[in-house]
Amino acid sequence: MFTLKVAFRNISRQKKRSFLLAGAIAFGMLVITIINALTGGLVANIRENFSHALGGHVFITGREFNERGQIISKIRPDVRMDQLLEDNAGRIQAFTKRSQALPSLIFGSKQTMQLVYGVDFHEEDKLLGSLAVLKGSLAEVLTDEHAVILPQPAANRLGVDVGETILVKLETLTGQQNVGELRVVAFVEDQEQFGLSAAYVSRSYLNTLIGLGPEEYQMLNMFVTDLAFVEDFTRAFREGLLTPEEQQEEEEPTVSVTVGGVPIDPTPRQETITRWEGTRYRVMNINQIMEPVELMVGVLNRVGLVIFIILLLVTMVGITNTFRMILLERTREIGTMRAFGMHQKQVQHIFLWEAVLLGLTGCVAGLALSGLLIAVVGRWPLNVDPSLHFFLNHGRITFSLSAGSIVLNTALVVLTSLVAAYWPSRAAAKLSPIKALSSHT
Amino acid sequence: MAIVELENVRKVYTLGKTEVHALRGVSFSIEKGDFASIVGPSGSGKSTILNLIGCIDQPTAGTVSINGTITEGLKDRALTDLRHKTVGFIFQSFNLIPVLNVYENIEFPLLLGKNRVNKKEMREWIEFLIEAVGLADHMRHKSNELSGGQRQRVAIARALVTKPEIVLADEPTANLDSKTGQSIIELMKKMNAELNTTFIFSTHDTTIMSIADHVIRLLDGLVVEDTKAAAAAGGLS
Repeated sequence: MFTLKVAFRNISRQKKRSFLLAGAIAFGMLVITIINALTGGLVANIRENFSHALGGHVFITGREFNERGQIISKIRPDVRMDQLLEDNAGRIQAFTKRSQALPSLIFGSKQTMQLVYGVDFHEEDKLLGSLAVLKGSLAEVLTDEHAVILPQPAANRLGVDVGETILVKLETLTGQQNVGELRVVAFVEDQEQFGLSAAYVSRSYLNTLIGLGPEEYQMLNMFVTDLAFVEDFTRAFREGLLTPEEQQEEEEPTVSVTVGGVPIDPTPRQETITRWEGTRYRVMNINQIMEPVELMVGVLNRVGLVIFIILLLVTMVGITNTFRMILLERTREIGTMRAFGMHQKQVQHIFLWEAVLLGLTGCVAGLALSGLLIAVVGRWPLNVDPSLHFFLNHGRITFSLSAGSIVLNTALVVLTSLVAAYWPSRAAAKLSPIKALSSHT
Repeated sequence: MAIVELENVRKVYTLGKTEVHALRGVSFSIEKGDFASIVGPSGSGKSTILNLIGCIDQPTAGTVSINGTITEGLKDRALTDLRHKTVGFIFQSFNLIPVLNVYENIEFPLLLGKNRVNKKEMREWIEFLIEAVGLADHMRHKSNELSGGQRQRVAIARALVTKPEIVLADEPTANLDSKTGQSIIELMKKMNAELNTTFIFSTHDTTIMSIADHVIRLLDGLVVEDTKAAAAAGGLS
């Protein structure tokens, strides 16, 4: 503990120098903390906004063969589904049932293809809350069966304005052409960059147009109470909705022949789809959808880490040079301590403790500055381009930082400081007492 | 009983291509409890002898025995332990640790050893030493808040704190005025008498020499006078 005490006192000996070194470390820590917190908040916001836009965290679609042998997307009333919803009621915050189509929207001489979701607006208040309205009002969707909410680019392509009526031309599930009328009530910010350029209409009206019954739908979307258990939850539905035939298909062993560890297949298989009876379900969750986003964020975090490491390397050179200077300044002092019985290791420990204390001080200062910056930046809503709102939480930048990344970054800083101080500390330890005592410093 | 014995000790330093013969075959012994003075002009080898006795340097030839241990061939760790247990140092320029206060400067040699020291006993012993060197009012002062004489008093207390057999003082009064220097030597003599610790100090000052009960005079790396040896020889004859 004596070496720690001396190291602690030594830090305050050259206040300006210690301040500059710890300041450099703090700056590095600030950069990496802000990047980590920003990307963490970004992922959380995108996840949240995606959930709202898609209407859930877990998505179930159903497929069945129609009379003409085509696979169509359809979920009929199903006791297994009802049972699963009942069994997992405690883990479900809300669920919605949607239909969808890719019709041509026509206004005058202009037309455009547009993904349209049929939603029950009375149930989907989260969706209505997440849409960034650019013109019009969302209130009318609750009263007007023919109301449509259009993304701005689609409205621009059609040249339509709020309050005007457009035609919708689509193919029913049985392959027949059908036409309907929709009244534009609002334009919303497009989320095309996430593949989510969607218009929203009443589900009951869309069902009528595509040939679904009033109790039928195409997607069941669920918000779970705790995202941490979303995988378990997904698995429960996936397994619960498997038909006996699907279970059998999954259990069939696959025979593979390998040569030198490389699998070979002498008879190239032809993918054939055998017709099945009833509905087959596909269960996905938000994590699978977020994979590309998380991949992008992962790259961003790695870029941040590289910047951090470069900053640390620069700081490391500074620390090494400073400790060399310290060694020259304290040569006689080291000689005195050695004369009184201080071992080489103890001399080395003083230097290494100083490096650790400097690193830790820098980390604490960097974290405190980051906290301050986060508090200031996160307080005010930003007046940014609406297309950036998908990254924000109600227009505010949010930050999310895991304890793990703080510990990892701190450990990295301390390790770098130790490595930087190691050689000067070793040189200090190896000083002969007689030479150190005859030094003029 | 001899606590320090040097037998035909030679020390050669290499300065570039030149060999400097600091000691040319020095032999003497110092008894436990002696207040011994090593005197001689600059370059006569006084500091070299103190360095050898203090185990911070090794002879080129000959043997140095400290409290019965021959230092030749000992590794750094063993030499460090021997220094810690047996020797205390008083330097010409005090060499206090600037970041520590008076109490901590005196305490620090006790914190280096492997043996756990009873904290209460340790505090009482340090306070006794501080009282003995007359610095009770300056216990929490840093070295830059003390005069030269006060700093050397701290150094004396620090040298005695581990209760060493030997205290080495390399020209302890050289950086002090004559009055302060005198008081420092008197303090060392007092501690020598009270604690029966062997004091070995180098000096140019003839008045200080007169207080010593054993004087070893050096010239050009050789012992030219050893008062105890002479007295013993006189007694024998």
